[in-house]
Amino acid sequence: MFKPISNAISLLALLAVAPLIQAADYTLELGMEATHYPTQGSPLSENNGMSFSLTPSITHTFEDQNIYFTFTPFARWDQRDDMRTHADIRELKAIKVLDQWELEAGISKVFWGVAEANHLVDIINQTDYLEGLDGEDKLGQPMLRISRIFEQSTLSAFILPGFREREFLGLTSRFALPFPVEKATRFESDDEEKHLDYALRFSGYAGQMDYGLSWFIGTAREVSLRPSSPASNVFFPYYAQIEQVGLDVQYTQDAWLWKLEAVHQDSQESNHSAFVAGLEYSFYGLNDGAYDLGLIAEYNQDSRDNARAALLQNDVFVGARFGFNDAESSAVLAGMILDLDDDSRSFRVEGSRRVLGDAKLSIEAQAFSHVDPNNLTYGFRDNDFMQIELTWYF
Amino acid sequence: MKLHQSIMIVAASSAFFFSTIVFAQSAEERGLEIAKATDARDAGWGSMRAEMEMILENRAGKTSTRKIESRQLEVQGDGDKSMSLFKQPRDVAGTAMLTFTHGLDADDQWLYLPAIKRVKRISSKNRSGPFMGSEFAFEDLGSQEVEKYTYTFLREEACDTGMNCLVSERVPAYENSGYSRQITWIDKAEYRPIKIEFYDRKNSLLKTLSFIDYQEYEGYWRADQFRMENHINGKKTILNWKNYDFKADLKDSDFNKNALKRLL
Repeated sequence: MFKPISNAISLLALLAVAPLIQAADYTLELGMEATHYPTQGSPLSENNGMSFSLTPSITHTFEDQNIYFTFTPFARWDQRDDMRTHADIRELKAIKVLDQWELEAGISKVFWGVAEANHLVDIINQTDYLEGLDGEDKLGQPMLRISRIFEQSTLSAFILPGFREREFLGLTSRFALPFPVEKATRFESDDEEKHLDYALRFSGYAGQMDYGLSWFIGTAREVSLRPSSPASNVFFPYYAQIEQVGLDVQYTQDAWLWKLEAVHQDSQESNHSAFVAGLEYSFYGLNDGAYDLGLIAEYNQDSRDNARAALLQNDVFVGARFGFNDAESSAVLAGMILDLDDDSRSFRVEGSRRVLGDAKLSIEAQAFSHVDPNNLTYGFRDNDFMQIELTWYF
Repeated sequence: MKLHQSIMIVAASSAFFFSTIVFAQSAEERGLEIAKATDARDAGWGSMRAEMEMILENRAGKTSTRKIESRQLEVQGDGDKSMSLFKQPRDVAGTAMLTFTHGLDADDQWLYLPAIKRVKRISSKNRSGPFMGSEFAFEDLGSQEVEKYTYTFLREEACDTGMNCLVSERVPAYENSGYSRQITWIDKAEYRPIKIEFYDRKNSLLKTLSFIDYQEYEGYWRADQFRMENHINGKKTILNWKNYDFKADLKDSDFNKNALKRLL
């Protein structure tokens, strides 16, 4: 499952830290997930499914040397889909801190950006779509990072060896692609997945403004699926070489958050720009008590006007987050994405609360309504679902 | 006659003299003086680390526990900086909060979400909201700068603890407070807060905070326990402070978004 370079790094890191493992902190997350689809899908898929996940983590701080070590593997077993049964090293990294400098080596995760429904500037890690459609789960990325830390800003340089390919759900999954994808991945670069990618980021804050400027050159994280032959119904994954610049800004004023993310991407074959602009407003202490209500609205624009090229090419996201602020941290988030071109929409509700002391119960439901045949989500129109997840934390 | 006159003059002038002493300091000035003395008595600690155990207890006596590691940096001329790392409940373990307090102005606040490695700037308007579902509001746990309140000295009286206390009323001068006023009991000998009563926006007694078991660390007094009782809903929150470390020697560069991501 893992790329050789990741393997080598893992082994080295494990050997280096093996004697110190007794002193480390351990945590374990155990997830149990049940999903129900009310509508019949493809003949291969079923209406119900169970899945289990395991996320152990070891962390240790070498106080004297200012070294922070983390190892977080991840594994999932899926009842229905062998492709979704997968494992990954989310993190296996050491960070060395030297006064105004930070050095990081290993497999790591990095997040850039400010928006809620769309993560445009975030490019370091490949998205783990086997985990969910929301794009919040990421594959571990081998990297070397050096950061110079200033009083109110940070400049970071990344070297990224070892490309992580996107994984696809099997045909027994409801969110599988409606056509077979070949294993024979092709790359624009002759170095294929060994191509060295580079990135720079300058981020910081000034008063109520948080900002980030980023630059990336290397293999696209976004996959392009191409037919094996002109008339073929079989596709192969293709990864282009791209250069991307990004900007993310958040202005925080009172109960308002104003957000903007914008990118411009160049490749051999095309170039495009995209942005998401939005706001969030929170009402605190509703009903003379502890309740909070946050309202979110974001507009997405992508210069690839073709509805099949980008999912959020002219789409609005509106959502509301309700926090009970109780001892169980109960919260509900509801949202809708509306395509302004073809009127396609999808709805999602998420709720969670702490149960049984150290466990969390999450409920998620998604519904597609009025999906236009030309919309990218058309194949998923019958995949409304409800999911219950119980996660234990040890 | 002359003698009588001069006695009159002396009497009048000394009456005037005394009145300037007694009445020159109004209750407001005396209140402010006590607040400044309390602040001055605790100045110069520099930086510290401590562990906090928070026990939430509902009316039926059912409890749940939170554990937080806290780092604080004293900032001269502005509010303090703090970084809190949540250890328990376990589902939020690794979540961390960075706060730059600014007296009357809005604080700068960032939240780190470890599952997605995201640092989010959050609104600090929610001063009156509950901290982690507890009976402590964010404003109860924030840096206590003198300019955040206006003060009125009320009286001197014996505290429960047998000490003499200076009792003052203070009214929040910052926006979005959940309180109309607070009554503070300050121990006269060491200028340590002993008790605070919180009155809600409708001016009814909402909560009482008691500071219990003071210990002296490197010359600075810290209570080992904060006990907050809510008189309206009957709930209680107890903060037990452990492992106070005033020799941690934290620097300004230990309080930033990068540090937040690697607290653990």
